[in-house]
This record gives sequence, C-alpha cells and structure tokens, in this order.
Amino acid sequence: MKNRIKVARAERDFSQADLAERIGVSRQTINSIETGRYVPSTVLALKMAAVFEKPVEQLFQLEETD
Amino acid sequence: MKTNWLFPHRYRLIGWLLFVPAVLLGLACMYAEFQLEFLTVGKLKGIVDWPVNLTDELATLGVMTGLLFIAFARERVEDEMISQLRLESLQWAVYLNYLILGVAVLLVHGDKFIDVLIYNLFTVLIVFIIRFRLLLRKQEREVLAL
Repeated sequence: MKNRIKVARAERDFSQADLAERIGVSRQTINSIETGRYVPSTVLALKMAAVFEKPVEQLFQLEETD
Repeated sequence: MKTNWLFPHRYRLIGWLLFVPAVLLGLACMYAEFQLEFLTVGKLKGIVDWPVNLTDELATLGVMTGLLFIAFARERVEDEMISQLRLESLQWAVYLNYLILGVAVLLVHGDKFIDVLIYNLFTVLIVFIIRFRLLLRKQEREVLAL
C-alpha cells in the first residue's frame, strides 16, 4: 500500500510529532506508516483523513502487489 | 484505540523493584541454601506433615509477578502499532522458549532437568521482554535517524 502522508503533512506544515499528537499515537507509529512498514487500522486511517480533511483514498492507495 | 489487559505504565518500575530482589533471593535459595527463618511454617493440616520453609515460594512468586508487571505495563503512548509489536514479540518468545526447552530435553538428563524446568518457568516472559524492548528501541532509532 502506498501513502501520501508525508506530502499531506508538508502541505499543512505538520511535524510527525504534531500529527502523532492529533490522532493519539506515538511518533514511531507515524514514521512506520510513512515508510510503509506499518499498515494502519481503518480507524487510524480515518482519523488521519479527518485531520487532513481529505478522503482516505487520497492518503492511501492500493498497489498491484496488495 | 483501546488496548485492554495491560497494567498502568508505572507498574514497569514496580515490576523491576519486585523482580531484582526476588531473583537474588531465588538464586541464594537455589545455590546457597539460603532460607528466611521467619518463613518456616509448621504442619499445614492436610497439605504437609512436616515444617516447610516458604523462602523459595516467595522468591518464585516475586519473580513471576515482577516479570508480568515489566512485560505487560502499558507504554507511555500505547497505540495499535505497539500492540502489534507486543503480539509479535510474544509469539516469537513462545517459539524461542520451546526451542530452548527442546534443546534442554535432549541435552539435560536426570536431576538437573528440574533446574531446567525451574528456569523455564520464567524464560517465556524474559525472552518476550528482551525482544519487545529491542523492537521498540529499533523503532526509536529509526525516528531519530530522520
């Protein structure tokens, strides 16, 4: 799964720590999601979408290997 | 995300405060035949017919409780990824524990096997704690490297 969290963060000028605090996870978790090592739950994906005010599909996209 | 069945974060410290003295007491019991005299109890009706000393029982329960607190105290931020790391570490620990036990079954015989079983009471938790902490440290280092 691909994600555009880093780009979305840059657009809003949020650090990983800012985003982590807003959705109640650790900074490590944000980092792991951005680098594709961790796939978040639907709840967490929806929370991120709410923070960035974008549909989930704009933040996360399936890849061919999924 | 709610993660149940964990102790509050401060239990990690309490766990260490229980674990360290209990281990020292346990080792003293096992290898120096150390006993706390006030823990000698007389006959327990229907259970034992001679006086027993409960020093080793105290040490065992102390180590067990301490390790459980250390292993299952909540992290400062306990989120879904940490829960997943927890679960993976636990599975890994169970595998490694039985691997160690399997090797010991083949290599250790006779009375000495009792020692293996005594240590085996704690190895799952010990391996879990080490594995989990190493994984967390690796995560932290990756964040710092950015």
